[in-house]
Formats: sequence, C-alpha cells, structure tokens
Amino acid sequence: MGEMKEFQCTYDNSAGISGEVTEGLNLTFPDAYLHRDTMAVLSKALKEYDNAAFCELPFCHTVEAEAMGGIINYGNEMTGPRAKEYICTAPEELLKLPEIDFSAGRIHEVLMACKMLKGEGEHVVMQVSGPFTVLNVLIDAKYVYKALRKKPELMKEVFRKLGGEIFKFMEEAKRYGADLISYADASGGLNILGPKMVEQVVEDFTYEFLKRAETLADDRTMILLCPKTTFALLGTEKASFREHKLSRPMAYGEGCIEMTGKVKIAGQMCIKNVGYQLENAVLKEVVLV
Amino acid sequence: MEEDDVAEAAQEYLDGGYSAFDGIMEGLVDGMNRASRLYEEEEYFVTDVLLCSDAMYAGLDILRPHLPEVSNDDKVTGVIGVVEGDTHDIGKNLVKIMLETAGFNMIDLGRDVPLTKFVETAKEENADFVCMSTLMTTTMGGMKTVIGLLEEAGLRDKVKVMIGGGPISQKYADKIGADGYSQNAVEAVKLAKRLLNIA
Repeated sequence: MGEMKEFQCTYDNSAGISGEVTEGLNLTFPDAYLHRDTMAVLSKALKEYDNAAFCELPFCHTVEAEAMGGIINYGNEMTGPRAKEYICTAPEELLKLPEIDFSAGRIHEVLMACKMLKGEGEHVVMQVSGPFTVLNVLIDAKYVYKALRKKPELMKEVFRKLGGEIFKFMEEAKRYGADLISYADASGGLNILGPKMVEQVVEDFTYEFLKRAETLADDRTMILLCPKTTFALLGTEKASFREHKLSRPMAYGEGCIEMTGKVKIAGQMCIKNVGYQLENAVLKEVVLV
Repeated sequence: MEEDDVAEAAQEYLDGGYSAFDGIMEGLVDGMNRASRLYEEEEYFVTDVLLCSDAMYAGLDILRPHLPEVSNDDKVTGVIGVVEGDTHDIGKNLVKIMLETAGFNMIDLGRDVPLTKFVETAKEENADFVCMSTLMTTTMGGMKTVIGLLEEAGLRDKVKVMIGGGPISQKYADKIGADGYSQNAVEAVKLAKRLLNIA
C-alpha cells in the first residue's frame, strides 16, 4: 500500500441551504424540501447564490436512508433535513431493511426535480451518499465501527446490500437526466477509520462498487468522487490520475462539464468547492486499475 | 483487550479482593489514557478509541458499584452536545470519552441539541463548563446563540464555554466570545483543565 493522503474538507465553499439562499423565495419550510417544484427552485437559487455552473440535488444526505426506512427531521430554512432517530441497533437488522422504491417518496421527488432542471437546460449534479453516510442515519456509528472490526463478513454483506441500492439510485439519477453523479462518503474517511480500515473498505467494497458505477459514465454522464474517496483509491493503488487538457483555465465544475464524454471519473476536488479554479487547465481523471 | 474480556478481568480482580478504585485508575483509566496517547500520535483512530472506550465502560460497570459513595457534587461537571441542526457526533463522543476518562462528570445531550437545552441543563446541573461541536457551517452560529443565552440567564461568568468541530477555529471562538477552542479530543481535556484551573 502506498501513502494515503487525507483530504481536508474546506468550509469556504458551498455549504448548501441557508437563510441567505432562501430569503425572498417565498417558500415555506420544511415543506420546500419535500416537493419536486420547490426542490428545483431551491436548487436554482443555490446555483445562483454560489455562482456555480450546475444545480445540485438533493440538499442533504438523508434521502437514500429515508427511502430504506430511516426517520428524518426535515428541518427548516436555516438547516436542512437530517437524521432524527436510529431505526437499527444491530448491524444484522440492516440486512432486513427494504429495497428503495424509486417511484415514491422524497427520493422520487428528487429524481423528478432533476428531470425538471434538466428540462430547463441546467446541468445537474446528483449527490449520492456512500454506505457510511447512509448508515449514519440508520444506526449509531459505533455499532458500524465495532462490526467492521469484529464481524467483517457481516459488514461485507451490509455494504453489498447498500451498494446495490446506491448503484440503483445512480442509475435512476442518470435516467432522470443528471449529468454529474457525485459519490461521497466522508463518514468513512481516513481521519475516522484510519489507513488499515480504509484499505479494508476499499478492498471489500469501494473499488468493486466504483468499477460498477464507472459503467454509467458515457457521452452525457460523468461520475465524480469526493477527494477522500479518490485518495483512498490512490493510496491503495486501486487507481491513478490521468491528465486531460481543458480548452482554458476554468472552475472545477465547468471542467467536469466540458470533459463529460471524455472522462469517466473525476475526483481531484470537492464539487462543493465551487470557486476552485483549474488554473493550469488540466482535469485529472481517476482511472481505476 | 475486548470488552467481554475486560468485564471478566474486572470481576476476577474484584473477587481477588483488590480495590475497585485502584482498578479503575490504574487499570481502566490508565489503559484509556494510553489509547488517547496513541490517538494523539495517530497510531490509533476514531474506531480504535471507540472500541477501547467500550472496553473501559464494560470494566467500569463491574467496578463502579464497589466504589465508596461519592457525590457528583465533588466532580467538575460539563454539559456536552452537537448543536441544533447537526447530527455529526463522532467528535463529540470522543471528547466526552476523553473528558470522562480525565475524571470530569459529563452530561451528554447527544446530537442536534436545541440551543436552549444547553443553558437549561447547565443551570439544572450547576455545570462548570459547556462543550459544543458542529461539523457544519450552517449550524455553527448556534454556538454564539448559546453564549448569548448563557449571558441572559446570568450563567456566563460561572460557566466556561469550549467549542470544536470541522469548521471551528480559535479565530471563530474569539469572535463569538467562547472561552476556548480545541482541535481534537485530547486537546479538549487539556483545554478544560486549563480553563478550570485543574492541575
């Protein structure tokens, strides 16, 4: 294993919905988080506030978990939806959770909002959460960490199940018009798990999952990775960077849009870092081995 | 040592007629302090510390009932929680574990804690300090609100305020009038001791 770098999340970028973004939109909260039309309005407002090249959906990391039975506090105009209480107390229970029904509930509204925005000519980034992030809504993280150490085979099964659901969400996102499908799982980052466990997770789940996700990339869809995931892949020698020259220096998000069709997976920077400029006009593709 | 083994060892230790207090201080707390040191040296990570703390608490459950009655009034009390709007509680849990290991009586309000709850609990429990954390920029403003509420309740002079979390910095602590900021759980213990003049 090579040296594994840590990507530090920065906080001078888009932090999502806030009172400043929602002011003057004449929306009521938390109702606005629940419906396709208001989601689309919010997403466009956030794009304009951030001066970004794309619209983002959803506004939280609870959509997948809610669709699997998680209990959500929908929040208000200041802070968005978040986990309310855990529905599982043992990792074994996670295997019994239902499959996601993409034709109903908030996850369906998210997909419909994506379709609406695409129809209005927007580029849409669908933010998809990895298993640790989804699990954070369903079960106290301490049970997950303990099971990773003491019941690795069980956790492989849990990851396989969640990976299947997450992949289906990515497929649906593509079907509903998302240009960029962003995969992030900061709750399973190096700073939390440590290098040995990150390597275990990459071996047991992330690499194979992303090989599958990579098949979704085509001339109109690109996969984006949180740099924490990128560095985990690079550090375990499961991926390398390949450089692509852009037409000019530009923001990272613009670079991803320009390179869609030529690059399958990008992940050198956090897509939420909307001000990040590729000053040397180079986008780095994450090439899985 | 795994938590089941620790519980068994603690029982054997008691059955051998040894002092519960010594077992806690020289066994469990010493072990946890070593885990803290390894965490500081980046040999251990969050998951390791959580497993160690489970083992410590399993041992404490066995040994604690055999301690002489000591009122919590004798202990320095802290109230800890993740501010309203945020559910990221891993860092908060670590800080709580480290502070408890260091001998503080910690009242854990959990995550997504209504801001008034910090003040109400500090008042009810006659707390010496309040610890708040968040990983989100959208919720960090809540910390300032709590400091304002402590002032309104006339508690600010007797309650120290410590803050931490991803977007938090010393600069932010200074800006909102918190007494201190710590970057990690080990530093939080040092900060609490410094603020409360504990050797």
